[in-house]
Amino acid sequence: MSTDRRLLVILAAAASTLAPAASFALSALDGTLAAPETFASIADPAERSAAYFTELSKVLTNPRCTNCHPASDRPRQGDAARPHQPPVFRGPDGFGLASMRCSSCHHSANFEPAGVPGNPAWHLAPAEMAWEGKTPREICAQIKDPARNGGRSLDDLVHHIGDDTLVGWAWHPGGSRTPAPGTQQAAKALLQAWIETGAACPN
Amino acid sequence: MPAISLTINGRAHGPIEVREDLTMNDFLREVLGMTGTKFGCGAAQCLSCAVIVDHADGTSSTMPTCIVAATEFDKLNIRTVEGHAKNGELTPLQKSFIAHFAFQCGYCTPGFLNEGQVLLERLEKSPIPRAELEGTIAEALDGHLCRCSGYVKYHQAVRDVVLADAHRFLT
Amino acid sequence: MRLSRREFVTWVAASGITLATSRLRAAQAARFDETQILPGAAAPRPVHGATGRIDAVAKVTGAKLYASDFRAADMDGWPPTTAHALLLRGTDAAHVFAGLDLSALDASAQPTKIVTAEDLARAGTRVPPFYAGDLLCPVGNTPLYLGQPVALLLFETFDAYDRARVRLRQTSPVKLGVETGPLAQPNYAALRFTRVAGDAPGAPDVYSPLMEGWISPGFFEAGGRPIWQPLPTSEGGQYKKGATYGDEIRAFIAANDPGTLVLDRSFRTQSVDPMFLEPECGLGWYDPKAKALQLVLGVQSPLEASEALGHLLGEATPTLRPERIETHFAHLGGGFGGRDHTPFPLYVALAAMFLPGRPIRLAHDRFQQFQGGIKRHAFEMRSQVAIDRASGRMRAFAADHILDGGGLANYSASVAAVSATSAIGIYDIPKVDVTTLAEHSRGVTAGSMRGYGVLQTTAALETLVDEAAEAIGLDPITLRRRNLLKAGGLTMTGNPWTVSVRTPEILDKLEGHALWRERALAQKTASADTLVGTGVAVCAKDYGTGADCALGRVEVDPKGRIRIFCDAVEMGNGIGTAVANRVAQFLGRMADEVSVARIDAFDALGLVTSGDPYVITQEEQDTASRNPRWVPAVSSATSASIGAHVGTQAAAEAARIILRFGMWPAALALWGIGQEDPRHFLWDEAFWQDGMLILSGLPPLAQEEVAAKAHAMGALTGAMAHAFSRWAWAQAAFPLDGLDWAADIDALAVRRGEGPFKVLDRSFIAFPPASYNRIGTSFTSSCGTLVRVEIDKASGAVRVMQAYSVLECGQALSPQVVLGQAQGGFAMGVGYALLENLPPFEDGPGNGRWNLGDYVVARASDLPIHALEVEVLPPVAPNEPPKGMAEVVMIPVVPAILNAIHDATGHRFQALPVTPDDVRRVL
Repeated sequence: MSTDRRLLVILAAAASTLAPAASFALSALDGTLAAPETFASIADPAERSAAYFTELSKVLTNPRCTNCHPASDRPRQGDAARPHQPPVFRGPDGFGLASMRCSSCHHSANFEPAGVPGNPAWHLAPAEMAWEGKTPREICAQIKDPARNGGRSLDDLVHHIGDDTLVGWAWHPGGSRTPAPGTQQAAKALLQAWIETGAACPN
Repeated sequence: MPAISLTINGRAHGPIEVREDLTMNDFLREVLGMTGTKFGCGAAQCLSCAVIVDHADGTSSTMPTCIVAATEFDKLNIRTVEGHAKNGELTPLQKSFIAHFAFQCGYCTPGFLNEGQVLLERLEKSPIPRAELEGTIAEALDGHLCRCSGYVKYHQAVRDVVLADAHRFLT
Repeated sequence: MRLSRREFVTWVAASGITLATSRLRAAQAARFDETQILPGAAAPRPVHGATGRIDAVAKVTGAKLYASDFRAADMDGWPPTTAHALLLRGTDAAHVFAGLDLSALDASAQPTKIVTAEDLARAGTRVPPFYAGDLLCPVGNTPLYLGQPVALLLFETFDAYDRARVRLRQTSPVKLGVETGPLAQPNYAALRFTRVAGDAPGAPDVYSPLMEGWISPGFFEAGGRPIWQPLPTSEGGQYKKGATYGDEIRAFIAANDPGTLVLDRSFRTQSVDPMFLEPECGLGWYDPKAKALQLVLGVQSPLEASEALGHLLGEATPTLRPERIETHFAHLGGGFGGRDHTPFPLYVALAAMFLPGRPIRLAHDRFQQFQGGIKRHAFEMRSQVAIDRASGRMRAFAADHILDGGGLANYSASVAAVSATSAIGIYDIPKVDVTTLAEHSRGVTAGSMRGYGVLQTTAALETLVDEAAEAIGLDPITLRRRNLLKAGGLTMTGNPWTVSVRTPEILDKLEGHALWRERALAQKTASADTLVGTGVAVCAKDYGTGADCALGRVEVDPKGRIRIFCDAVEMGNGIGTAVANRVAQFLGRMADEVSVARIDAFDALGLVTSGDPYVITQEEQDTASRNPRWVPAVSSATSASIGAHVGTQAAAEAARIILRFGMWPAALALWGIGQEDPRHFLWDEAFWQDGMLILSGLPPLAQEEVAAKAHAMGALTGAMAHAFSRWAWAQAAFPLDGLDWAADIDALAVRRGEGPFKVLDRSFIAFPPASYNRIGTSFTSSCGTLVRVEIDKASGAVRVMQAYSVLECGQALSPQVVLGQAQGGFAMGVGYALLENLPPFEDGPGNGRWNLGDYVVARASDLPIHALEVEVLPPVAPNEPPKGMAEVVMIPVVPAILNAIHDATGHRFQALPVTPDDVRRVL
């Protein structure tokens, strides 16, 4: 057990110094999310803060999140993140175009017999909150910027990522979809730890 | 098992007990025998299964039935392909589909008919400029797959219903 | 006019089972007026005349039309409730099938009965030869292919079935045993087509398939690949002779003379799904008391399906052998070839036989349709061409095709032959050598699909020609024009095309079109972030299969109303409308009722057949044809674009006979024209206009009046005919009113007044010679396409912005349907070029996880729906027969797009589809 934890620390520390893409590849291997304590050995608060975010970015760059934080107006689908079929688009309010609203298909809960996901608030993140294709460092800067995070304070972010049920769906996607790494609580804890240590961004 | 009641083409159905995991498509086709609404993909990707839902606020929209539980349609008021013509009189859109030879095998026709009808009713309430017409039709119909026709005649058929009565649908 | 009783045709097949087909009619009069269930006399037409499809009202009102619309409760005389069957398929073809584990199903999802290979063996069912291979994989065997069925689960209630279907999609019940690797199986076909033209124009060929027959190598490597070289001991002298000529052609190309441009290119095409919108389904009921099996099916080949079912159950144990099989054929929600000779009906029948007394439905969902439906063959092609640089004339061409046939033979041999005989497209090349090999693989079975063989080879050829033009420095259209096969010239099998050849006009049209003339300008004015290109391609496509039949029956009632029966199937092709239009030319009125897929309506002809029309010898044919009821084949599949040309032929000839021997004598009587009046013989000069029969100088006669008179006189008011084509019509003469009436039909029955149909003996018969079976095709129609593409530099996405297709199809029987087919073919071509792809094997459709989210077909937003211009050339003469066109319109779209991408990017893609990632990589 202790060996495992030590290994994680080493991996996490190493990850923070690696190129972002490589760090994702490395940390995405196990589908888990490390607890904030894992990073206690990183002495420098800014470095530790960045390490929290790097760990959290396993979630933020996961298809469960990026599919609905897409780079274009069209969401993506599935673990392979292919373009949504049929073609649907953001629309003025993020809930689809007049002719095809998200709620036409996505109802209050997953409908397992057809494998269709659901949540009462199923919709796309606003365009300025697009994460698809971005590095953890870019997402970090973006997520702190009220102009690009829906006007949220850092505490609002904790609430959005930590408590929102639509965000929470990512950890319980049902069907054949792979859940986002860890748990919503673990992500919340990392986010809180990141904010408490100054919300530093990874290099 | 929950029971659902709903109105289909103006006629009340139910209460009828349904399994929670029964799709609306199977409710229509297997329980009621109303096979005008088609099954194409079971994944809301072809929309040959779409029906019209008339909402309480007076608006209407289409909804696929192959991926939605029948229970989601409890208390709803819906229209299907079987309900467009009244007393044998076809609607302008049905006539236009025929006059344009819009479809070939006809299996996707119920979906296109429902989507086109909802669009016409929307335009009647909120007319658009002539210049936006083709784009609006394209946006409305794009979710519907057709393997025979290449779509051209469907779009022309919807457009020509609008243009034949331009003051009603266009600003 | 309405049928007063159900009409059946019955025949006893070789199986000894009585096969019967009847009109599909539902019992639900309360919900739907029957006239809406199938197009009928009372179904309102939007406008009298030619506007609107015959089946249009039924299709916009949701009437029950398709096989998937029918349940037991809809069927006359059936028990009311429907049971449901689930066909389980394996997703592995490299391990032994070790049995089923259904523990994932709880009590509410249990099948009533499980049918396995052991049950079939015990029952003594036989697999029809066309579908050779286990219908269900036996325990202990490695499945022949991915998605091979392993069991049928039969459920008494829909709920149990529905739960099990969803559950078993998530958790496969198939247990795997030891790893064996995929099974090796023999090839489906290995053929070589070689032609050496005579030295001078007009000189006879030195060697051709028509002269010497089709040849196949006799030896194979250990891995199964044929040995194409002419071995000294090669089987039969025939192969050696052809192969020796073939090798000389290859040596000529390899010599690479400096005055000759030689291109040697590979091209790969992918497997795709026909993706007809209605997944396959069927309904069956075995009534053990009556020992009768009834089925509702939707296939392109009704007669074949009936006979296959007879074979399946013909020698089964008594409890599982019906004495009678009655099939009802419905409209199809699309076909595109994929429902021509599909094994699906066999499983419907098995489900019904193993749950006797209970109507049962077998229906694919889309995952299952991808997993089990017939696919298009993936091809690997190598093409070599030698072109004289000075003249731009093609001197020699060689190609080698390898087709992935998937798990069962199905149509693989035919696809291989068609691909080879279409390898030189629209061109006249004096030396041609093409080998073609259809292989078994563990992939999903490939078979018939729109444009098969030609689609693949034309993509390779027309991109090669484009490249050659560039290399020689000739305009692509000029190079094509210099090499066109002209009327009277010989195709690569050594026979001429016997129909109009319009490719010169097609090239003129393409060359003169603004899209082509302004292609440089379009490129110059492209925006900075896009690349623009223009591409052209031309295709000639065979229609017909070399043994095509039509059955047609036409009746006029005393009020002039017309009823038509034909054996062709309505799958969106508008056959009902086309046949009605063709009959109207003779009888002055659009049919009031057209009944399709009616192989049952022709028992008065008393047709018999024997032998295989494709391989019959001349002697066998001569002997058999002494029986006046014998025809080479009775009914063929609605496929190969035969609808217009063949599908309408029998009804048209029947209508012509009614005009000549019914309506015309009646008109003469009404006009008071006697035997001695020379106008007595002018029936050919009379014509119909607005429901009136007109002969100049005489008062027009109302069609109703003429019909009433014909009935009153006891003149001919109904005719049923059979037609057969082997690259030419069978011709026969029949004694009618003291004349010997010769026509392009081989069987005829007529009725007078309201009397019964009486068959007429032929006084003369000429079937097309058996040697015509060596022809590749002699029926061809052509289409050329221009496309302008725009490529987004950042994403690599290719968009077809504008397009022009010009085609010819003789007389267009239903111009709006022709236009619709051209638009639909264009869409399917765009999908094939840019979107659709089924990877082979384990990641492919056999894994049961494919649906339309991953398999992307063209939507309206992928197409230039407001910038697609289609032009149909007028027929060469007013009486030019109709030509098939539903396949050819798809084919040039694909190479035109590839040539346009090359024009835009400078890169030649040689594998399909071309994805945005592919394009981005070369930018």
